[in-house]
Amino acid sequence: MAEMNVPESGAKKGKKKARSKKMSTRVDLTAMVDLGFLLITFFMLATTFNKPKTMEVNKPAKQKEDVEEPPIKMSKTVNLLLGNNNLVYWYVSPDEINADTKLELDSVDYSATGVRKIIQRRIKEVHEMWTDTTNLFVMIKPLPGSKYKNIVDILDEMTINNVRTYAILKPNDPVDSLVCLTIGQSRK
Amino acid sequence: MPKVKVPRKSTAIDMTAMCDVAFLLLTFFILTTKFRPQEVVQIDIPSSTAQIPIPDKDILMIHISPDGKVFMGLDDQNTRLALLDKLEEAYSIKFSPKQRDAFRLTELWGMDIRQLPQFLDQDINTRATAAQPGMKIDTSGGEHQLQDLILFSRRANNNLRIAIKADKTTEYKAFDKVIETLQEQKVNRFNLITSARTGKE
Repeated sequence: MAEMNVPESGAKKGKKKARSKKMSTRVDLTAMVDLGFLLITFFMLATTFNKPKTMEVNKPAKQKEDVEEPPIKMSKTVNLLLGNNNLVYWYVSPDEINADTKLELDSVDYSATGVRKIIQRRIKEVHEMWTDTTNLFVMIKPLPGSKYKNIVDILDEMTINNVRTYAILKPNDPVDSLVCLTIGQSRK
Repeated sequence: MPKVKVPRKSTAIDMTAMCDVAFLLLTFFILTTKFRPQEVVQIDIPSSTAQIPIPDKDILMIHISPDGKVFMGLDDQNTRLALLDKLEEAYSIKFSPKQRDAFRLTELWGMDIRQLPQFLDQDINTRATAAQPGMKIDTSGGEHQLQDLILFSRRANNNLRIAIKADKTTEYKAFDKVIETLQEQKVNRFNLITSARTGKE
């Protein structure tokens, strides 16, 4: 490997005409290869390969106080309250609240068998109750106990289940305060 | 029987091809490399199925640490300087040329704007490791510096897009504060940075 081109002394052959020596054109590339790979290793480690992805969020513009929005039928919606300990509390608000209204409240996790099942079930229910083109409206209400991961997960579920109508709201509904009381979590 | 002579082979291999490959790869890595920015706080981002890659330029990055501290960084050095000009004016702080240069090279920072000159006077290594207290956020009517910073940055660069990078365990409250601030500025569109989902999660 490590060869050295030792110049033969021309004087040895004495009287013969001093001929220009034919030098070998081969260079030992080992060191160069070493250097090359060293630099490759450095750049490989210093580089950020997988670029992070982003999720686009569009929030509605803040409206002035006096603009009243047309109310949405509660039977087309599902409420998801993001609580602590990675749990989602979900319920469907009744269209009209009277004395003997009962509310079904349940908690699920963020997995494919948890909140995704609920969303898919509600999509189906809304289709059966209204028309096939009626979209489910998801109301996402994060409670103070929820983490950032939870909101990303739930927005991701919206993409996965192809829910295009959803909103991130504050839990200001009277029903929400009742629910928060039941599950023992603060609203603000 | 005569002995079979094993011919002695030279151990020298022709390295030319290997060298070519090495440098080809090297060139590739040099050209594609984008150095990892210095991180002020360790942020473990959540994963999602989102597929949109983050835009290359005109980004205002807002980092939220697990304990709710807010940091910001602009990707372009000229925008950073333009922002500093506006801060000089609004907060009547004078930055020396050395401080300006230091700010130009600061990827991410989060502190009271009045502490900024002092921070920029430190040498580069101290600055990289110094603990930063996070942006001053006061949503109850006091001095809301994050709001100013977003406003000035957007004035410095009209095409600025806002990307939020928060830790998995960041409280929703902290995230909400930042969003509220953005909405005050009529920024209703922003990007949340997530990593691609790997395997089953």
